Amino acid sequence: MRNIKARDIIFIALIILAVVVLALPTLLGSLGPLPPTNIRSIAINYLNATYNQLNPGLWTSSPEAVAAIVWDYRGLDTLFETAVFYSAIIAALVLYRDILGEKDVLKGRGLSIVVQRATAISMVGILVVGAATILHGQLTPGGGFQGGAIAAVAPVIAIVVFSRFLIDRSRLSYKHLLLVRNIALACIALIPLIPIISLAIGYSQVFIFQNQVKAVSNFTFPQIIIDVPMGGTIWFFNLFEGLAVVSAFSLAVIVIFYSEEMSRKAIEGEDIGF
Amino acid sequence: MGSELHIAMYITVIISLYINIAVCIYGIISKPNLVKKLISLTILQDSINVFLILIGYRLWRPGIILQPPILLDWSPTSEALKQFLERAVDPLPQALVLTAIVIGLAVNIFLATTILHVYRHFKTVDMDEIGMLKRVVIVEETA
Amino acid sequence: MLTLADLVFIMLGISALVSIPATILAIISRDLIKAVIFSALQSTFYALMFYLLMAPDIVLVYIAVSIGFMSMILILLIKKVGRYEKY
Repeated sequence: MRNIKARDIIFIALIILAVVVLALPTLLGSLGPLPPTNIRSIAINYLNATYNQLNPGLWTSSPEAVAAIVWDYRGLDTLFETAVFYSAIIAALVLYRDILGEKDVLKGRGLSIVVQRATAISMVGILVVGAATILHGQLTPGGGFQGGAIAAVAPVIAIVVFSRFLIDRSRLSYKHLLLVRNIALACIALIPLIPIISLAIGYSQVFIFQNQVKAVSNFTFPQIIIDVPMGGTIWFFNLFEGLAVVSAFSLAVIVIFYSEEMSRKAIEGEDIGF
Repeated sequence: MGSELHIAMYITVIISLYINIAVCIYGIISKPNLVKKLISLTILQDSINVFLILIGYRLWRPGIILQPPILLDWSPTSEALKQFLERAVDPLPQALVLTAIVIGLAVNIFLATTILHVYRHFKTVDMDEIGMLKRVVIVEETA
Repeated sequence: MLTLADLVFIMLGISALVSIPATILAIISRDLIKAVIFSALQSTFYALMFYLLMAPDIVLVYIAVSIGFMSMILILLIKKVGRYEKY
């Protein structure tokens, strides 16, 4: 064992002190009775209202409570979270603006042909599972972000298995992915404004972000797709958020995968000061 | 017998999360390598998210079976709705933790790209050496 | 006899206790690849805890993001930056 210095003992003592200071109020009852025995009233209100046909002024036509809270009852939070994710990806891309879109100088060959054929078959399966999770977000656990993260595995494996040289010459380029992402985000921003168009048709009063019929306004998105509850705006939000997330992950991976020769061109001149 | 076991296990989970959080804070403060700091930050964010869901695990009485907050019956009668209210777990912390995981991922991607940029500029990712290099640059500029 | 609730709580306790050595090893080890692997192991135990606490939406997001995507980005970073940590 390495010789233990004095500062290691001080660090261990400080960690134990921190844990004791946090644990003592918990044991004396600061979080309430453990494990908790009753549920908060706001949760009972949300669970009661989300698929209750007796109270159509508050219902969201989606039997899943978590998707209804994320996209309907607290939709503004999710809108700003999507904006934060967008800004982070743009900030990561801006650092490489000189070399983005150029072909790489390294000519790889990828992995062996057995791996390439097996990956080509399983990529179809991954995309189908991801699409099923996105489109059933209002009925089963899933939704836009979950399905998008599952479906984003496919472009990432494609860059590793088929080499980057092949991907550069295909249609999975930086410009197309950025276009898909911008269109998906513009649609997410426009769906809450659709009720305003119906003011021209003859409805008297509508709200922005409105999903179903409210007590003072009669406008509603469709409630049923063939025979399955649809959720109104929730289905459209899940679809566009899934597309946006797939293209975001692919863009982040494409930027980090550039070879070192190309990436050093992006920081040329920084030591002189421009 | 059952009730003491449940209370003991619940308190064990809470105290082990506290230990994880304290060790991660030690890791962020005292290790000089930037990649090690990033790993400690991701573990810290995940531990706090687990803590939030743990506090939302309410409505526990001995003898009932809980279910996640998803209604499985597409045209429920009011009896089925009452059963659902008695058994479902709190859905609100799950929605907030979903947002928190996405924002944490965005921050981590941006930090990884920044670490690459710092490496290409200074040729090292050790904070002690970067501090010494910057001291040399500042002394040269003000001389 | 062991009821279902007993089993759920015992599994919660065990996976929380086993995640402590994984975290400590992830922070102490000097080889950064080993630190990433221990961090992915600890994320697996946390995913099991999310499942037992009846949160299926979060299990899907967490496995895809923390075990898959973050480990890949960290391994790419380590390849470009350097594998061993100096004191």
